[in-house]
Amino acid sequence: MARAARLSALAFSGLLLSSVASLAAPKSVSGPGPDPSCFKPWSAQTKYMQWDKKPGPYRIAVVNGFVGNTWRIQMIQTAKAYAEQPGMKDKIKELKVVSTGTDVAAQLGAIEDFINQGYDAIITIAVAPEGFDRVIRLADRNNVVIVPFDNVLDTDKVMQVNEDQLEIGRLSARHLLKELGQKRDGKILEVRGLPGNSVDRDRHLGFREVMEKEGKFQIVEVVGNWDDGTAQKATADALAVHGKFEAVFTQGGSTGSVRAMMDAKHPFVPMAGEGENGYRKLIAQHAGEGLKGFSYSQSPGLVAISMKAAISALEGNPMPQLISVPIPAVDYTTLKDNVNYWSNLSDNFFAANEFPACGVNVTAPEIMAKDAKNTQ
Amino acid sequence: MSDTVLTPTAAEPQLKTRRWGEGLGLRWRQHAGILGALALFLGLYLFYQLNHPRGFTGQILIQNANEVFALALVSMAQTVPVLMAGLDLSVGAVMTLVGCVASHLVDGSPAEIALGIVVCIASGAACGFVNGCVVVYGRIQPIIATLATSAIYMGLALILRPTPGGKVQEDLSWAVTSDLREFAATFGLFDDGEAAWLQPFAWIPVPLVLLALIIILIWVPFTRTVTGRTVYAIGSSESAAYMSGLPINRAKLAAFTLAGLFAGLGGLFLALQTSSGNADIPQAGAYTLNSIAAVVIGGTSLLGGTGSAIGSMIGAMVLRTISFNFRIFDVAPLLQPLFEGIVLLAAVSLGGLKLLRLKNKLEVFR
Repeated sequence: MARAARLSALAFSGLLLSSVASLAAPKSVSGPGPDPSCFKPWSAQTKYMQWDKKPGPYRIAVVNGFVGNTWRIQMIQTAKAYAEQPGMKDKIKELKVVSTGTDVAAQLGAIEDFINQGYDAIITIAVAPEGFDRVIRLADRNNVVIVPFDNVLDTDKVMQVNEDQLEIGRLSARHLLKELGQKRDGKILEVRGLPGNSVDRDRHLGFREVMEKEGKFQIVEVVGNWDDGTAQKATADALAVHGKFEAVFTQGGSTGSVRAMMDAKHPFVPMAGEGENGYRKLIAQHAGEGLKGFSYSQSPGLVAISMKAAISALEGNPMPQLISVPIPAVDYTTLKDNVNYWSNLSDNFFAANEFPACGVNVTAPEIMAKDAKNTQ
Repeated sequence: MSDTVLTPTAAEPQLKTRRWGEGLGLRWRQHAGILGALALFLGLYLFYQLNHPRGFTGQILIQNANEVFALALVSMAQTVPVLMAGLDLSVGAVMTLVGCVASHLVDGSPAEIALGIVVCIASGAACGFVNGCVVVYGRIQPIIATLATSAIYMGLALILRPTPGGKVQEDLSWAVTSDLREFAATFGLFDDGEAAWLQPFAWIPVPLVLLALIIILIWVPFTRTVTGRTVYAIGSSESAAYMSGLPINRAKLAAFTLAGLFAGLGGLFLALQTSSGNADIPQAGAYTLNSIAAVVIGGTSLLGGTGSAIGSMIGAMVLRTISFNFRIFDVAPLLQPLFEGIVLLAAVSLGGLKLLRLKNKLEVFR
């Protein structure tokens, strides 16, 4: 009994000690921050945050949610490869990656655990856009930088990193309009992503905004779930029903969309799509026959930008609260083998990992090198 | 004459000790599943705490308790139908639905919050009762009935929360996800949690207290009632239970209602923990699947008749603790699911060890 009391007293004093730890929170400051072409504020209203400067090298944790598709696996490998690059290697003492599955309680627990372990920064793809108030509060108390990216949070209390999905839609529309020349009517195929997802909604809205202002197109929508198989089937169905399209915008599963057109003997038309290596290979092969493709990417390399931003924040720099990463995009004129696509590698990875504005380029061979012995 | 008197009196104490010894052995065998799970949990958890840089502090305990609570409750929910040799595929959906209800109702004045909590708990129980009605009066297998109702509950959750959001009262949310001291301080109880008598317990996380209360106030009394015993009897042999005149239908309805109640409590906590509601379909599915794993690890037989919600709670803790260790040790990220699977398989196999002791191999097919 006495022992239990002593134990509990010990645990309690430990608790007291830890809650006395600095109640620091990031200060709200005015910009601009360093490297404005890479850490570009989302809009003119974006506020800036500044944390207390900490001495490096830093301990960084990546708390992924769902794992099990190419994108996520490549993201994890990119994080590991980037931490090994010269210039980064000496700033990062330790990089830990865990995947918690689609369970918000597990993700919150993992983040809280890394805060308690004394990690300096935690990079995460949030399982849900809400529910992180408690861990944000704890992170602020312990002077830990949390950086959600890709699936970001509905809050302005943490620094977040993403690409502007509306702009992706607009860029795609502008490319199609440019390649269509004077033509401003006819049917356009739009292969959408996962229904209900904000990324799908925003890309769609951006695309429509530009297309509908410019011409009298009839835009046919199908759902491709960002997945090669689904997109291929959806495209094939649309081709069977509508016969001919003047141009195609596909949000993902782009390789599948092109293959469906080839199978249906549909002539190659201008196209905008994601950054899969297979899609870029097809553009390179068939650009001369009319597949005037544009390939943007919500790149798994965003994790590298997030790590870079976290380190910049730990070094005491003022950082925009919401960072709009420049969209890595190429078209049929700028494609180069072994630079932004790899004709000798598989279709199934995302080729866009180059962010010139940020000085970040985690190339496919580097990721593939991680692939074989993955994980050590 | 004297001999005949002496013999039984001399033999009696001996007999008694033997009976007592047998009773202990029987009890040990009856609870072998739980004890095995408990040993596994303690092993994994001590290993984690010993290697954690802030091991054995209040925060770690709070963080782990928060993480385990919803899964523990959903696993306890799953236990009740499993005891009757059925599976409830709707536990994750009920949890999600009640979480979405909570994100609408658990805010405002204290009276409104109290009412909101009551509505949440009642809606969880109501979902379970509907499951029970479909099974009992619709005469549909539990696994199929609950598969169908889970889709309905997810649909309702999506109507309530088409996109994640909502709000629950902040103080309450903070208080139930902290330790007793913070809990008291938040609501100004016991001298803001500084009362001397509270100090020895002040470090205990609120979720663990809630878990203990739920077990002591709901689960243990339930198993002591005729209805509760009937649930076990149905799992052992439904026809024998029927022939013995036990209230089969009442027990089935009660079992599913209790499952809904537990799952609803889990959902309520998840909403408090995340201060929002989210009709997340993959998450609901993950909870349902994990709950079945936790039930099996906790020593409850999928064939019904033996086991306990307490075991399932420990099973849920085992499940969570496996992944705690990935945060401490440098396990390659893509190998983590593999390791998790291996530990799970080992844990589940422990339950199979009893087959080695069977005298008659035909009992395997019981």
